[in-house]
Amino acid sequence: MERKIGVYVCECGPNIAEKVDIDKVLNAVSSLEGVAVAEKYKLLCSVDGKKFLEDEIKKHGLTHLVVSACSPKQHEQTFMEVCENAGINPYLFQLANIREQCAWITEDKDEATEKAIRLTKAAIRRVRYHSSLEKKEIECNPDVLVIGGGVAGIEASLQLASSDRKIYLVEKNSSLGGLITNFEKTFPNMKPTSDIIKQKIQDIAENENIKVFTDAEVEEVIGFFGNFEVKIKKKTEENNVVEFDVGAVVLATGSASFDPKKTPGYGYGKFDDVFTALEFEKMNSSGKISLKNGKAPKSVAIIHCVGREEKGYCSEICCMYSLKFACYLKDKIPGVKVSHFYSDLCIPGKSCQKFYEKTTEKNVDFIRATDVEVIKQGDKINIKYKAENNSKNSHPVDMVILSPAIEPTSDTSRLAEITSISQSDGGFFAEEHEKLGPVSTSTDGVYIVGCAQGPKNISETIVQSEAAAGKILSSLVPGRKIEPEVKTSQISESFCIGCKTCISVCPYGAITFDETKKISVVNEVICRGCGSCTAACPSGAATLKHFTFNQLYQEIVEAVQ
Amino acid sequence: MNEKGSYSDVLVIGAGIAGIEASLLLSNSDRKVHLIEKTSYTGGTVIKFEEVFSNMECSTCMVAPRQQELLQDKNINLLTLAEVEDVKGSSGNFTVKVHKKARYVDMQNCIGCDACFEPCPVSLKNEFEEGLSERKAIYVPCAGALPNVPMIDTEHCIRFKGKDCKACQEACMFEAIDFNQKDEQIELKVGAIIAATGFDAFDSKKVPKYGYGKIDDVYTAFEFERLYASNGPTEGNITLKDGKAPKSAAIIHCVGRDQKGYCSSVCCMYSLKFNHYLKSKIPEIKISEFYTDLCIPGKSHQKFYEKMKETGVNLVRVKELEVEKQGNGMAVKYNNGNKKDSIQVDMVILASSIEPRDDTSKIAKVLGISLDEYGFLKEEHPDVSSVTTSKPGVFIAGCVQGPKNIQNSVSQANAAVGKVLSLSK
Amino acid sequence: MSETSLNSKGVVISAKPNTKEAIIGILEKAMDKEVFDAVLIPMSVPAGDSFVYVLIKDKSLLKDAVPLSPVMSVQGAHAVSSVTRLGSGNMKIAAVMRPCEIRATVELAKLGQTNLENITLISLDCPGVLPMSDFLSDPKKSMSMFDDAVQKWDDKIMRPVCQICDKSSMVAGDIHIGTLGAKKDTFFIISNSQKGNDTLDKLDITLKDSIDSWQAKVKTISEEKQKKRKKNLKDLKSDIGGIDNLLDAFSQCINCHNCMSVCPICFCRLCYFDSDKVKHSSEEYLNRAESKGSIRFLPDTTLFQTGRMLHMSLSCVSCGACEDACPMSIPVAQIFSMIADETQDLFDYVSGRNLEEPLPLVTYKEGELHEVEDAND
Repeated sequence: MERKIGVYVCECGPNIAEKVDIDKVLNAVSSLEGVAVAEKYKLLCSVDGKKFLEDEIKKHGLTHLVVSACSPKQHEQTFMEVCENAGINPYLFQLANIREQCAWITEDKDEATEKAIRLTKAAIRRVRYHSSLEKKEIECNPDVLVIGGGVAGIEASLQLASSDRKIYLVEKNSSLGGLITNFEKTFPNMKPTSDIIKQKIQDIAENENIKVFTDAEVEEVIGFFGNFEVKIKKKTEENNVVEFDVGAVVLATGSASFDPKKTPGYGYGKFDDVFTALEFEKMNSSGKISLKNGKAPKSVAIIHCVGREEKGYCSEICCMYSLKFACYLKDKIPGVKVSHFYSDLCIPGKSCQKFYEKTTEKNVDFIRATDVEVIKQGDKINIKYKAENNSKNSHPVDMVILSPAIEPTSDTSRLAEITSISQSDGGFFAEEHEKLGPVSTSTDGVYIVGCAQGPKNISETIVQSEAAAGKILSSLVPGRKIEPEVKTSQISESFCIGCKTCISVCPYGAITFDETKKISVVNEVICRGCGSCTAACPSGAATLKHFTFNQLYQEIVEAVQ
Repeated sequence: MNEKGSYSDVLVIGAGIAGIEASLLLSNSDRKVHLIEKTSYTGGTVIKFEEVFSNMECSTCMVAPRQQELLQDKNINLLTLAEVEDVKGSSGNFTVKVHKKARYVDMQNCIGCDACFEPCPVSLKNEFEEGLSERKAIYVPCAGALPNVPMIDTEHCIRFKGKDCKACQEACMFEAIDFNQKDEQIELKVGAIIAATGFDAFDSKKVPKYGYGKIDDVYTAFEFERLYASNGPTEGNITLKDGKAPKSAAIIHCVGRDQKGYCSSVCCMYSLKFNHYLKSKIPEIKISEFYTDLCIPGKSHQKFYEKMKETGVNLVRVKELEVEKQGNGMAVKYNNGNKKDSIQVDMVILASSIEPRDDTSKIAKVLGISLDEYGFLKEEHPDVSSVTTSKPGVFIAGCVQGPKNIQNSVSQANAAVGKVLSLSK
Repeated sequence: MSETSLNSKGVVISAKPNTKEAIIGILEKAMDKEVFDAVLIPMSVPAGDSFVYVLIKDKSLLKDAVPLSPVMSVQGAHAVSSVTRLGSGNMKIAAVMRPCEIRATVELAKLGQTNLENITLISLDCPGVLPMSDFLSDPKKSMSMFDDAVQKWDDKIMRPVCQICDKSSMVAGDIHIGTLGAKKDTFFIISNSQKGNDTLDKLDITLKDSIDSWQAKVKTISEEKQKKRKKNLKDLKSDIGGIDNLLDAFSQCINCHNCMSVCPICFCRLCYFDSDKVKHSSEEYLNRAESKGSIRFLPDTTLFQTGRMLHMSLSCVSCGACEDACPMSIPVAQIFSMIADETQDLFDYVSGRNLEEPLPLVTYKEGELHEVEDAND
C-alpha cells in the first residue's frame, strides 16, 4: 500500500514560531519521499488542533503521521489518540521534539531552523519504517499464593481473601503465627502478643476463601503475572504434591537470627546462662525466668548489636526489644538489675523514645561500650568492656541476653530462584525500587513483605502486607484482562545461534531457551521492552518492536548528516 | 455509586509522594480519585531534594515520571490550591466540601512558557526556595514544577490590591491569564478518604544555641537542600552568603529532638547524604558531623554510612553543643563527655526534627479523627495497622502519621489503598 | 602463565620411539579400551601439502595422525563445535589440539556453541605454527624446518602472533601433554579436571610424578614471551593508534570476511556485517559521497573490523587463524591480540582459561570499570 505521510509543524504560539522559521522547515520536507502533505498549525494539542489533525488524516487518506512540536513526554499520548480516532494505528506516528530540544535552547534562529529541519526529516525517515502494533489482552487468575504463615503472611491473606479471590497460604512449619507467637508482649505498648495474632489465626481458619497448607513448601512457580502454575510439597504425606494456579505470589517468609556462635567472644554455647533473644522470649513466655541452676537472676546484661559488624547493617528492632526484655525482667523479678551494653541507640519513630525513657526510669542502665567480651571468672559471668571515657571496665552478672542481628531465612535463595527474583543487601529479597517500589519486585506479580524484605518491626510488617494487598487488589482484578507491553522484543528463529547471552542479561526472566530448536524465545507477556537483549545479542537476532535497527538507523543517520 | 449504595470515588488529601502513589494505585484499579493539594504544585517535599539516600538517586528524576502519569491520568481529578473544609457522612458515603482558590491562570490554555514572569513588577522571597531567592507575584515555585502552570499570589499582586496592572496578561500569547476566575466551593461524594498531608521541619530558631537566624551561614536542612539543587537558587553551587565556597562545614544532628521527644528516623541518613553533597561539589572540604546516637536502621543504610566514612568525614559524638560566631565563620563548641573542644567551620547545617504541619489539627477536626500526643494524625491500633484511624473509611499515610522515610511513606500509601479497595469486597 | 589447577602431579611417559608415536600409542590404547570411541586430530591430506582435522573412528588410521601439525588450516575449536553444536551425542571423543584451540573451544562452550559432555580435550605444548603462505610455497621443506624448530623449541620461523604467544603451554582442557622440561625421551602427562583424572585412571596411568621441571620451563618461556608480547603490541599500538593510523592499517581490507569465517569465536549464523543492516540504499551512499567528497567501495571496512573487535575481543584467544586467512596480509591477528589483551585486562579475564568462569559480557560487578568512567570526569 502506498505510504502517505502527513507532516505537521506546531507553532506552539511564539515558542516555536519565533525561534524557528517554520515555512523553511515545511519547504525542506514537503518533497521528501512519501510525504503527502506538510502544514503548520498554531497549537496542535488544543481541542481545535486535534480536530484539525483528525480531519487532515481523513481528508488526505494519510497512512502515517509526523508531528514536530513539543516533548513526547508531554503529548505523544495525545497525538497517538488522534491517530486512533482517525483510523490510523497509533504506532504509525512519530513526534519530533523541536521545542524543548530545539527552539527553547537555541539562540540563533538559523541554527534552530537547521536543527528543526533535521529533527523533522529524521522523524519522517523513521516513521517510514514503523509497523502497526496491536495491544494484547490476556486472562488472569485473581488467586494469590502467600508463602509464609507468620504475621506478614496472615495479614496479607486476610486482606486479600474474598469470594472471587482464593488465597493459598503455605507454611513450612506445622502451625501458623510465625516468630511472634514466641513473644509474650510486643513493644512499645507492651500489650500481649495474643491480642495481635490469636484472633487473626482464628479468622484464617474460619475464612472459607483461604486454604492453608502447613508442613508444606513451595517447589515450583512457573509462569507470569496473572498466570502462575504452582507446585507445593507437603512434607508429612505420601501423595504429597499439590498443584494449583494463581495470579500473584506474596513472599512473607520472615527472618532468621544471626548465630552468636559465630562471635565466640560473647560466650554463647560456651557458658551457661548466655541466651539469645529468641531463647529468652521463649523462657519468658513459659512463665519463669531462671538461670540454669533454677534460681532467678539478680543481675542481667543485655548485649546489643550482636553480629552487626558481621552482617553490615542495623537490624532496627533490637534496641527496642532489648528494652522490652528489661520490662519483662523488671515485671517478673522485682529488684533485678538490668544493664544494656550498646554502641548507638536506634529508636526511630514517634513511639519509641517515650518507651525508652519510661523503661530507663525503672533502674535500667544503658552503658555505651565497645570491645564487649563475655568471660567466665570462676562460676561468675563477667562483662568486660571499654566505656565511653575509654576506661576498661568489667561488670559481673548472672545472666547474659544477646540481641543478634536479623538475617534472611535459609530458604531465601531457593525461593528467589523459584520466583525469578533477586536478593539484595544482606541477602534479603530485592525490592523493585528502594523508594517507590518497596513491596514489588522486578518480576511482575511477585511481592515481598515483612522481614523477608529487610529487618523491620511488626507494625511496619503489617503495613507492607497491606501494601502488597493494595498492589494486588488494584492490578489483579477478577474478570479484568491484563494488557501487557506492546513494544516487546522478538528473536528471529533463523538468526538466533543459541548463545543465551540475551537470557543472561534479561532483568525480567522473559526469555527462555527452547532445547529442541536450540534457540532463545521471548515471552511477550513478561517482556517489558527494555531492550537489553537487543543490545546484547551479538548477531542482531533479537530486535525490539518500535525500535528496530532500521527505524533507529534512519533517525540517527539523518540527525548526524 | 455502586450496588451497595456507596460511592466508589476516593478522596486523597495531599499530593506529595504518598498522595501521588496512592492516587496512581487507586486509578490503576479504575477508581476515580479526587486529589486535593493545598499548594499549586505536586511532589510535596521530596521534589525539594536533589538526591535521595541510600543510592543518591536523582529525586526529581524519580518523581517526575509519577507526576507526569498523575497529570495525564484520566481517573485522577487533581485540584490544586484546594483545601478540604468539611466532611460529613460515613464510610462509603462521605460528602466533602472543598474550597478551591482561583489560580487566575487557565490550566488548559497555559503552555508553561514563563513569558508572564518578567513583566511582573512585584518581587518577593520564594518560599519553596526557603527564601534564598526571589519570585514574582505570578510564579511557579521552581523550575520544573508540575503542573507547569503559574499562579497569582493575590496577597502580593498589586492588581489584587487595587492597582490597574495587566503586565502578565499582556505578555501572554495564549490568553491564559484570567483575572475573573473565582474561588470555588466544590462538593464531592466519595466512599473513602486518605490523608497524606506530610510534615514540616522543626523551627531551628527555637534552639538559639545553634545560632540559626542570628549567625550568617547557619543553614537549615531544607535551605541546604535548595543550595545543592540544580534547579535551585544557586543552580547547585554551594556557596556561603558572601558567595565563596565553604572550606569546612559542620552538620549537626538531632536539632529539636529534645524539644519534640522522639527520633525523626531520617536525619542521620540525610546528614550523611549532605556529606556526599558537599564532597561531590567541594572535594577538599573538611566536614564534621556532630551526633548523639547514629540511627541508620535498614539493610542498605549502613553500607552508605561506611562509604561516607571513607570520604574522611569527622564523626563526633557529643553530649552538649553550641555554635558561636568566630572571625569570618563559626566555632562549634562541644562536649563529648570526656573533654570540651571546639572546631572552626565556615558553614553549619542543622538536621532538624520532623514535626506535624500547622494544619494537621484542622485536618484532624475536619475528618473527625484524633491527633496523637505529638500532634500527628493518630492511627487506630498502634500495634497493628498504622494506616487505619478510629473513623472507618478514613485512612492516613506518610509523615502526617509520624516521621518516616520515603520507602515507608510509600508502603503506607499502598497499604491505605489496600484498605480502601478491600472496603468494597 | 600456565598452571595446572587440579594437580601438581603428573606422570612421566616414555617417548619411545618418538614423542609423536608414543602419543598415538596412548590414543590407540584408549580406543582399544573404549575409553574413547573416536579421536579428533590433525592429519595430512592425501596430496601431502596441507593438514585437516579428522574424526577417526577406525583405530588403524591413527598411525597417520599428526598431533602437532605445522600449520593451522582449520581452527580446532571450529571442528569440535561442529561435531557437538546440536548436542553431545553418544560418542566419547578425544580432541587433540593446541592450547589456543582448546581455549577457543572452552569459550564456545560458554556460548552454547559446543557441548563438552562427551569430549575430552587434550592439549600439547605448542611451539607455534608456520605462516600458511610460507608453508604452501614449499610444503616438504617447511615440514622439515618445522620438525627442526620443534626439536629446538625455536619460534623464529613461526607466525608473528605465535612468536608473541605467552600461553603456548596453557592448560585449559582436561589433559595436557607437556614436552617441555622433560628428561630425554620422555614427556609429562598432566590432568586438569576430574574428567582428565578419570580418563587417565581408565588407562591405568597414575599421576605419581612431580611436574616441577615442566612448570619451571614453561614459566621461563612464558615470561620471555610475555615481555616480547608486551613490547611488540606496544609498538603496534603506537603504529596504529588514532583514527588515521587505524584507517591506514585497514586500508587494504577488501571486506572479504575471511578473517571472520575462520575465527572460531565468530559463531553467528548470519554475521551482523553480512546482514541487511549494513546494506544501504544508493541514496545513502550518494549522500555520504556528497558530505565527504567521495566514498570508497566496498564501504564500511573499518566499521567491520572495529565491530568484530567489539563483538569478539573478550573471547579472542590470539590463535592467528585470521591472519593466515587474510588475502591482503593485514596483521589482523596482531591488531586483534592487542585489543583483546586490553579489553580482557579490564575485566581481569583470560579467555578460555576456565569453563566455570562466566563471560564478562553477562556478569555485572558493582565495583567494576570505575577507573574507566572516572578517567573521563
